[in-house]
Amino acid sequence: MLHIDRIAGDRADPAWRERIHHLEHHGAVDEVTIPNADMARRRLRITTPKGEDLAIALPRDQKLFDGAVLLADDNRAIVVRAEVERWLRLQPRSIAEAIELGYHAGNLHWRVRFESECLLVALEGPADAYYARLDTLFSGRSIKGSIVTGDIAA
Amino acid sequence: MLEFAPGADVRRQTASAARIGVGGPVGSGKTALIERLIPVLRGRGVDLAVVTNDLVTKEDAERLRRSGLIEPERVSAVEAGACPHTVIREDPTLNMAAGDDLEARFPGLELVVFESGGDNLASTFSLDLVDWWMFVIDVAGGDDIPRKRGPGVLKCDLLVVNKTDLAPHVGVDLEAMLGEAIAVRGDRPVIATNARSGEGVEAVADMIGRAVLFSE
Repeated sequence: MLHIDRIAGDRADPAWRERIHHLEHHGAVDEVTIPNADMARRRLRITTPKGEDLAIALPRDQKLFDGAVLLADDNRAIVVRAEVERWLRLQPRSIAEAIELGYHAGNLHWRVRFESECLLVALEGPADAYYARLDTLFSGRSIKGSIVTGDIAA
Repeated sequence: MLEFAPGADVRRQTASAARIGVGGPVGSGKTALIERLIPVLRGRGVDLAVVTNDLVTKEDAERLRRSGLIEPERVSAVEAGACPHTVIREDPTLNMAAGDDLEARFPGLELVVFESGGDNLASTFSLDLVDWWMFVIDVAGGDDIPRKRGPGVLKCDLLVVNKTDLAPHVGVDLEAMLGEAIAVRGDRPVIATNARSGEGVEAVADMIGRAVLFSE
């Protein structure tokens, strides 16, 4: 078990980027993908692809982020890769439907963002479960939806 | 409303103890489970404190303080007002301050247990407040609770099914209920407990130890 009690740096910083890049050339960067649901945790047990059992316990004023360097020395580095967040983009067809959708999304405590005339719902489970809830709430009326990732990710 | 120790300045403190949440419906046995967990965890050398949440009283805090299981000053109370999940999810600052206050008063504290006020199946904890949380339901509350797929049941790190001793008295097929709980949670853990006898409590303590105290 390897204890991590702070974030050492950000691979996006020029100095770190060069150092991590150098280690990458030697196959010495262990990139651990952390599920989106776990990114807000200060304490976390997770095993890296190279088999390192990490026991992460960050101070309360630190948070994990994509590119966080958890450990780096002359021989290796361990870097966080945040799982890309998936969003369900819902497009109501009328103001009345938008109001209804907004009410239900709030009532269900869904995490949302707004994009033009669409409502984006963060997927914390299978998309089918969200569609099933909407079908029930809208009595079978369909709401146009699509799944998006990428630059919308938190 | 939060009870602060006189003179404590929580702003200077950087929290370092692990923080876990215990949520669940009214009467499911959250406080009873904590009463069982305290001696087990302390027996393993864990330095701990508790923050209780009640609607408009300090009932659970007073119960723990009177229990003799833990020094009364290690139990803090937050009055949640009408909506208990608000102070553990939407705006957990009162609870965060209570945890900071306990850490300031007890250097070396390793674990703070936050007990939610009794709530409904939609109750969940913010990960800004806790590192890991369990949701306690009970057999007498109905064997259909897992099937209802409430966010508390689905999203918690550990689902505890308490009061297993009552199953034959309330017409519940315990094995079937546990099977449904496991089915709706995928690969996430479920533990059956009887907080009156202590059955299953060691397993809950094992899980806390592994998840946030890194005991193995």
